[in-house]
Amino acid sequence: MSLGYCRKALRVDLTNQKIMTEDLSPEFLNGYLGGRGLNMKRLYDEVPPGVDPLGPDNKLFIGVGPLTGTLFPGSARVNFSAKSPQTGILGDSNAGGFFGPELKFAGFDQVIIEGASPRPVYLYIKNGKAELRSAEHLLGRDVFATQEGIIEELGDTRVQVACIGPAAENGVRYAGVFCNLVRAAARTGMGTVMASKNLKAIAVRGTMDLKAADPIKFMQIINKVDKDIASHVEYQTRLLLGTTKLVHALNEAGCLATRHFQTGRFEDAELVSGELLAESYKKKSKGCFACTIPCSRFFEITDGKYKGLKSEGPEFEGLAGFSSRVGVSDLGAALKGVDLCNRYGMDVISTSECISFAMELFERGIIATSDTDGLELKWGNSEAVLELIEKIAYRKGFGDVLADGVVKAATHIGKDSEKYAMHVKGLELFQADPRGLKGYALGVAVATRGGDHLRSEPSFEFYEDPEEGIRRFGVPEAAFRLEYKGKGKVVKFYEERAALADCLNVCKNTLVNMEILSFKEAAEILNAVTGMEFNEEMLQKSCERILNLERAYIIREGIRRKDDNLPERFLKEPLPKECGPSQGSIVELESMLDEYYLEHNWDKETGIPLRAKLIDLGLHEVVKDLEERGILSERFTL
Amino acid sequence: MFDLKVIVEEVRGFCDMPMTPGDYFEVKGGRIYIPEGKYICLWALQSMMPFLPLKQRSIAEENDWVPYTKRICCPDPNGQVIYRIETIDPVTQRIVEKEETEKSDIMPRIIVDGEKCSGCRACETACSFEHTGSFCGENSRIRIEKNEIEGKDIPFVCRQCGNALCIQACPTSALSKDDKTKAIIVDDKSCIGCKACASACPFNSIHFHHDTGKALICNLCGGDPVCVRRCPVESISFGSRVR
Repeated sequence: MSLGYCRKALRVDLTNQKIMTEDLSPEFLNGYLGGRGLNMKRLYDEVPPGVDPLGPDNKLFIGVGPLTGTLFPGSARVNFSAKSPQTGILGDSNAGGFFGPELKFAGFDQVIIEGASPRPVYLYIKNGKAELRSAEHLLGRDVFATQEGIIEELGDTRVQVACIGPAAENGVRYAGVFCNLVRAAARTGMGTVMASKNLKAIAVRGTMDLKAADPIKFMQIINKVDKDIASHVEYQTRLLLGTTKLVHALNEAGCLATRHFQTGRFEDAELVSGELLAESYKKKSKGCFACTIPCSRFFEITDGKYKGLKSEGPEFEGLAGFSSRVGVSDLGAALKGVDLCNRYGMDVISTSECISFAMELFERGIIATSDTDGLELKWGNSEAVLELIEKIAYRKGFGDVLADGVVKAATHIGKDSEKYAMHVKGLELFQADPRGLKGYALGVAVATRGGDHLRSEPSFEFYEDPEEGIRRFGVPEAAFRLEYKGKGKVVKFYEERAALADCLNVCKNTLVNMEILSFKEAAEILNAVTGMEFNEEMLQKSCERILNLERAYIIREGIRRKDDNLPERFLKEPLPKECGPSQGSIVELESMLDEYYLEHNWDKETGIPLRAKLIDLGLHEVVKDLEERGILSERFTL
Repeated sequence: MFDLKVIVEEVRGFCDMPMTPGDYFEVKGGRIYIPEGKYICLWALQSMMPFLPLKQRSIAEENDWVPYTKRICCPDPNGQVIYRIETIDPVTQRIVEKEETEKSDIMPRIIVDGEKCSGCRACETACSFEHTGSFCGENSRIRIEKNEIEGKDIPFVCRQCGNALCIQACPTSALSKDDKTKAIIVDDKSCIGCKACASACPFNSIHFHHDTGKALICNLCGGDPVCVRRCPVESISFGSRVR
């Protein structure tokens, strides 16, 4: 029986086909909490610089948190982490669905995959044990067919599957790990790492007891959380639309990534909005494990060219990625684009960036049909977009150029195309225009996994309440998305909340965007579940520790302040006239960076955490490691 | 004179025709129309025949000789197929609501609407936690069967059959009905985990504790089921009637 933590990790050595279990110490769990934290600690300790992300020395860590599998709403997430083949730095991505909880019921907090299997295999974990099974017959299958095949083979519909699709097998560098068909840990190429290890899937089934140390206290807190969620101002919208609400909302704000960030307003946004999807093709709401605010949907297209297409999803990033970002005004085509990515097993953000990048180059005459296998990559050409998705997944023709990510594509194409590559540290950017969201811009520039918004999500800048700005972050500007002051503080605050969410493996919609569960309540519920003794300060410090450990990891890989940057367009080209409230905006990053480093107690010039900070967080081994590598020099000695 | 549409609203027991929810026939004037390729159960039809002309009458009379005729239950005690009779204006083809007192002596139970289920399994988790202290849905009395490709999520839970086959099948008389709630109660001391009840249950709604092997049957939590409280989309409800 487990109380919150199973206190066990499974270590799978694929090279030697050996499976072991390890005990997890209370110090490890206390210090790194769960999912992301546990994985990051392992990544720092076990994957040193110089490791080839696609070689056998890279390791894939799968982690869940102390609330995963409990009744806590949205406690369904699972983190997949490794050194990223897409960015060469920290790789980490998480997914919802049912895989994470099942892993807890099977008795594990973490799975460590190392080496590489001589033949294609999948891992089957059941109730504290695991075995490697042949995956020869699954090779080449898409995500849907892979899951179906495994469930059929194991003869149990309650088996949960995390698998990769053909994109990963073909070495597309932004291939993800997909749970429950469409629940994707898509970012930073974790599927590509899995493929490099010849591991097609992980199936898990658990029937072991997972209990709470103090069930009465636990239910008291759950009841409070339920009330907080149901009475939240965003409750109805999130229930109805989920993240797809952002197509309309960001378009109104003038910062919806449109035609590859050439503007922030898409004239046909209402034709591809979440609202329209909810009114037309949505059949019902869908939720992750034990979620009281099920924000996803099952849809079936009932008319037009894509009639009959049915699936769960999409989220905002996919929906906007295959509509506004590529200038497509056909909702059916956008849904088809997301569906193809899901089936091939690719990240919708990176895929849509690579395609919209190519479209911009095409429209500017930098590349022509002679480069694109004859595809007319004009804005809005949905058929070309869909064809290109397939070409990328199978690395066919021009797709092969784009399959390594936008940075390598730009290098391949040359002709000064790098300035159009919308990425930070090699990771492609999301579907909101950073110029209209200064806090997000900062968050994306400094995110430890590269150009990504989910490391912070500083949604406070939408509050537009100056008094709240003063109360919480010391300056009224903090509450306004187009202002700069206070954003260093705001981003740091949200980075810690995001870390908390990723460590408890709870959904960020509730924990970060809706700010459900304070650090104090988080400590209380952890105590009620685990019987251990957490408190507010400890938790906050653990989150900071994890952030600093991640920072130290990417510093060790060579990242410095100069890399905490944004593509040139956002720093120099103002958003055009039609962008309404956001028009004329650029991002003045440097002042925000100064404030941000100061908040973190990191060196302003290099972005390296100060020794005192690392020591204060108990990261003595990191200090020693960075010293030995000559990264922490005398300059930082106190 | 009204037209009528008689629709299978719910199957609470086991119907071997089988009639399934959504099946219907229409009465227009003196004729009965059954949709092409469909059929109607002879026994159900013969039992409701006397009511059909009555329901066609367009005057509402006080002291009607049968005041509650909106729903009719199939006479087979194992079947419990509920038919709803709708009166339809023959010209506009709209449903006409006749004043009628809703009255039911059916005990409340858990009613399922699979069309709404989000598949989140919060009900399973809550049920298991309430009754066993473990979050693992493996010990739950309610189960969600999922087909992710088709987007189908169907809750399976005891329907508290009036003429419960599970009770009849139990060789050790471990199953009985609660005096107050009429819910089926398992006496863990007598239950030998032989699974005869599960074989008899037409609805796949009986499971077994993964450690003790004893039968797990919904006991309605004494009249306030936690799964219903936990459902975020009102896919399961507690009551006497299908909404």
